[in-house]
Amino acid sequence: MKRNTLVVGVVLLILATFAWAGWANWEYRKQAAEKLLASAAKGELVSTAAGDVPQYASPLKGKAAPNFALEDLSGHKVSLSSYKGRAVLLNFWATWCGPCKIETPWLVELRNQYASQGFEVLGISTEGDDLAKDDKTGRDKQKADVAKFVQQEHMPYPVLIDGDSISQTYGGLDAMPTSFFVDRSGTVIAAQMGISSKDDIEANIRKALGATK
Amino acid sequence: MKGGRWVGAIVLVLGALAGHGQAPMSDSPGRSIAGGAAVVYQYPEQVTVSAGKPSPVALHFRVGQGLHINSHTPRQEELIPTTFSIPEGSGVQLVKVDYPTGNDFTLPLDPSTKLSVYTGEFTILTRIVALPGNHLVEAKLRYQACDRSVCLPPKTITVPIDVIGQ
Repeated sequence: MKRNTLVVGVVLLILATFAWAGWANWEYRKQAAEKLLASAAKGELVSTAAGDVPQYASPLKGKAAPNFALEDLSGHKVSLSSYKGRAVLLNFWATWCGPCKIETPWLVELRNQYASQGFEVLGISTEGDDLAKDDKTGRDKQKADVAKFVQQEHMPYPVLIDGDSISQTYGGLDAMPTSFFVDRSGTVIAAQMGISSKDDIEANIRKALGATK
Repeated sequence: MKGGRWVGAIVLVLGALAGHGQAPMSDSPGRSIAGGAAVVYQYPEQVTVSAGKPSPVALHFRVGQGLHINSHTPRQEELIPTTFSIPEGSGVQLVKVDYPTGNDFTLPLDPSTKLSVYTGEFTILTRIVALPGNHLVEAKLRYQACDRSVCLPPKTITVPIDVIGQ
């Protein structure tokens, strides 16, 4: 009887040790995951109600949009700072991005509708090809592909190339399309990753036009 | 007897706690869809083939849930196809690749455009010729993935295969 009690006691002790180790491991992994998320400078997609498009929590929201200078298809340098005083939609897209093709006609319509109120779209081609700076052949082909896309989609607004060179300053740009809505003072008032609806885009444009410091 | 039931109940509870600690972390709100590879190579890790002779090898992959990648023959010219390759100098030559036929897929907001994609598990059939010996081949799979609202940049993953030519 005494021996049985001893055996049961030892078994319970071993199981208790395993249970504690399991709980400690789970806590450690939970904290490690939280630390990883917190240390990332990138925006994260936050789940909302089932069926909704996840909201993009950009770290740039409420902050000044980082300035940049990129070439357009004619080789002219275009800088964001030259648009101060106007509301701007920075639309990062790629030729291989199906959702980008879907939202482009909406952007064209909204740009034409709100241009007279001081609104512009800057389409920033971000092909993600990791081309070397001296890869002239690769860059020329990329430029030709972008120009063909622009022509097909009848984009009336400036289209800038080499968006990959500024992707880190805009949070990493893990997916396309990604849009940043910048108000007249140069502050990012909203960010959107992925395609939602023309109404959502218009609501953010109106916010950017109306928000003044 | 009563004591035995108590012991049994305690054992069950402790066992459940120990098991829970080893369970994979569930998706927490805020996890980026761009985190991790959209396509994972599953198997085989190692194959033994007759050295110097073309040998068939089936490579098994899995596309992440909710995602799709373009097939090897996408219907639109600007889309990036899925391609498999073996680097030169690896001791193994890729002589033939048979890609699976893509499935038809349409985006909810553009039902008129039919895409050719892979989803879930797919298999690429290859024929390889290996030199005699053990070759740790770092083959490559290039693909471009999307879900219903976003697209991820094109990506190349390493497909590690230990090829033994006998």
